[in-house]
Amino acid sequence: MEDQKQKEEFFPKIVGYLCNWCTYAAADLAGSSKMELSPSLNVIRVMCSSRVDYNLVLTTFFGGADGILIAGCHPGDCHYDKGNYYARRRYALLKSILETLKLDPERLQLSWISASEGKRYVDVVNEFTERIKKLGPNPINRNAYY
Amino acid sequence: MRLKIGVYVCECGPNIAERVDIDRVIKVISSLEEFEDIELVVKRYKLLCSNDGQAFLKNEIESNALTHLVVAACSPRDHESTFMNVCKKTNLNPYLFNMVNIREHCAWVIPDKAKATEKAIRSIRAGIRRTLHQSELLERELDANPDVLIVGGGIAGMEAALMLADEKRKVCLIEKTERLGGKSIFYSQLLSRQGNSAKMIQQKIEAVQQNAHIQVFTETELESVVGFFGNFEIVLKVGKETELQTGLKAGAIVIATGFRLLNPNKLPQTVYQKEDEVYTTLEVESMILNEGKISLKSGKSPQSIALVHCVGRDEKGYCSTICCSTIIKIARMLKAKLPQISIRVYYRDLCLPHKTDQQTYEEVKAEGVDFIRVKEAGIQNTSIEYTQIDGVKKKESADMVILAPAMEPADGTEALAELLNVSLGETGFFQEAHHHLNPVATSIEGIYIVGAAQGPKGISESVAQAQAVSGKILNRLIPGEKIVPEVKVCKVLEDFCTGCQTCLEVCCYGAISFNEVKGVSVVNEAVCRGCGNCVASCPSGAMRAIHFTTPQLYREMIEAIR
Ligand SMILES: Cc1cc2nc3c(=O)[nH]c(=O)nc-3n(C[C@H](O)[C@H](O)[C@H](O)COP(=O)(O)OP(=O)(O)OC[C@H]3O[C@@H](n4cnc5c(N)ncnc54)[C@H](O)[C@@H]3O)c2cc1C
Ligand code: SF4
Ligand code: SF4
Ligand code: SF4
Repeated sequence: MEDQKQKEEFFPKIVGYLCNWCTYAAADLAGSSKMELSPSLNVIRVMCSSRVDYNLVLTTFFGGADGILIAGCHPGDCHYDKGNYYARRRYALLKSILETLKLDPERLQLSWISASEGKRYVDVVNEFTERIKKLGPNPINRNAYY
Repeated sequence: MRLKIGVYVCECGPNIAERVDIDRVIKVISSLEEFEDIELVVKRYKLLCSNDGQAFLKNEIESNALTHLVVAACSPRDHESTFMNVCKKTNLNPYLFNMVNIREHCAWVIPDKAKATEKAIRSIRAGIRRTLHQSELLERELDANPDVLIVGGGIAGMEAALMLADEKRKVCLIEKTERLGGKSIFYSQLLSRQGNSAKMIQQKIEAVQQNAHIQVFTETELESVVGFFGNFEIVLKVGKETELQTGLKAGAIVIATGFRLLNPNKLPQTVYQKEDEVYTTLEVESMILNEGKISLKSGKSPQSIALVHCVGRDEKGYCSTICCSTIIKIARMLKAKLPQISIRVYYRDLCLPHKTDQQTYEEVKAEGVDFIRVKEAGIQNTSIEYTQIDGVKKKESADMVILAPAMEPADGTEALAELLNVSLGETGFFQEAHHHLNPVATSIEGIYIVGAAQGPKGISESVAQAQAVSGKILNRLIPGEKIVPEVKVCKVLEDFCTGCQTCLEVCCYGAISFNEVKGVSVVNEAVCRGCGNCVASCPSGAMRAIHFTTPQLYREMIEAIR
């Protein structure tokens, strides 16, 4: 009973590393279209999804994030030519690193959301939030690192 | 020096004020303990982007002697540059300013006011933290060369040259063959919608040759290009003896290398020999132009001619868009020259995109040209084997067969792409930076594409692109005006660099080179676009994305999820 209640009240901390050209613009569009978005996503703007390195992702989890969303332009549409392909490869490796850390790889998501996909942005964020809510809090004790 | 951060929360009229409790934001931010050794000035304002708002902000920066500035308002995509310009009017370096988006990320998407307010507070705290880790950056100004190099003297390259020369820009136009004009010099007529006459091509060639601002190099190709937008240094290979011509400079480069036709002999469904009466559309155009008539190798007039569309379309995976109109043009010319004979056109689909194409098609049909719709068609010497739309297979023969092969990238396209470091798309044509936002630019700043080099198209579209590119160049490269290269670039921390050169591999712009003497990589700041890919690839943490450093992103993130 107690457990159940705790789960319901769990407000996940999610970090979104969004590409300036596509997904950040999609977030702007979702905003100007007044769509409803989960408040748990904290957006950090990067110029390209390829800027997000292993270090940043891992320290974000160590820092206590319950989930991380990396989002950029669709394959072939990268503002910097091929950056998102690199992001995709790094993502694949990160997933396996998370397993060795005993962190559910589902806590990390990479999505392609173009500037015109405001609705998709909202769907991705809201679905991801629901998934993280089900997974519960990040088991890493952040105090161990600080 | 004691730090003093100004935090200004914009009401955005009712947009933010009604959906976020700004008073609470101000109260919480002003009393944050983690910033206690820093002086905070926290205020609200009704419309910061207005002229009054900007004047208010300027006065705040100056009268409070702010060391850092945070504006919590709309998306930085809307007004970051507005507020950076305000900073530029003061002593505050614009890179010590940070914009927090509490409108699109809070006010507009979180209906619960309390939750929107909490998120705004978290975002502003994160923004303040990020700002503290930002450093001053200085924008540099570079001289820019307003001259332009155009590679390829077809209709697209010539049109761009003429437009630029009209504005007194010096243009260097290089052409691989011995004459200007590209494929268009082989046409005795243009399309009906283009008024049939091909005189315009000759007139363009003469205009280019007579223009004092255009220097034409025929039988010339590019040897090398180094540099960046505003400052390219060019070496040409000129003439049959391939003499090298150095010392050329240009601020922008236009790729206008056009197309070639696919070789139908390479396809299994088109089997014929040299001696057969089988021609490509381009060969027939030449025959009509040079001989003024259409005849078989024996010199006799053909009694029946078959024209076949879409040769190689499936293999290429795209429609060449102009061959349908071209075939209709050729069929009409044939009918005019040989009104008695049978002319049969075997088509799969008709691509007639221009507003008067349909009408021309109806006219040509009425003039007696037969159009047969097929599922697929192949040839065996001069007999046409095809499958009707109802699935029935048929075989017919003609005295002469004319094939319309797909358009392909010109010879040497791959080598040129490598030399210029620009990308090719999946179809092998030069890839535009963005299909609808930036359709004539390439991935490299200052290098543009026009005409069939970008993809199959007709003369009108090639001319339109050439005019678009000229507009871009005239607008971006103004004589006497300096260019300000991106400052948010990457830098190598030499002490950390192990010389592995991983970063060289991942940079899509060739912005990184290796210093053999020092054994470290170096970023050319004028070429770097600041994507940060190299940072994420560096195994030693030696690459730093200025203004998107790891500490900046990390501190912002930690504060946001505190
Ligand atoms: C049979 C046929 C008939 C057509 N009829 C019509 C028509 O009636 N109306 C119409 O609108 N369109 C027509 N088209 C389409 C038309 O040919 C093209 O739209 C047009 O040629 C495109 O011009 P361009 O300058 O981009 O390319 P091109 O005409 O191919 O010219 C490119 C030039 O660049 C040069 N070049 C290539 N590589 C290099 C290099 N590396 N260095 C230096 N120079 C280089 C080439 O030698 C060439 O001179 C026809 C096409 C075909 C095949
Ligand atoms: S600065 Fe942004 S938030 Fe403020 S009034 Fe202008 S648009 Fe609205
Ligand atoms: S990847 Fe890093 S360590 Fe390797 S050469 Fe580049 S900067 Fe140096
Ligand atoms: S930031 Fe991007 S463009 Fe600049 S050097 Fe690194 S990979 Fe190349």
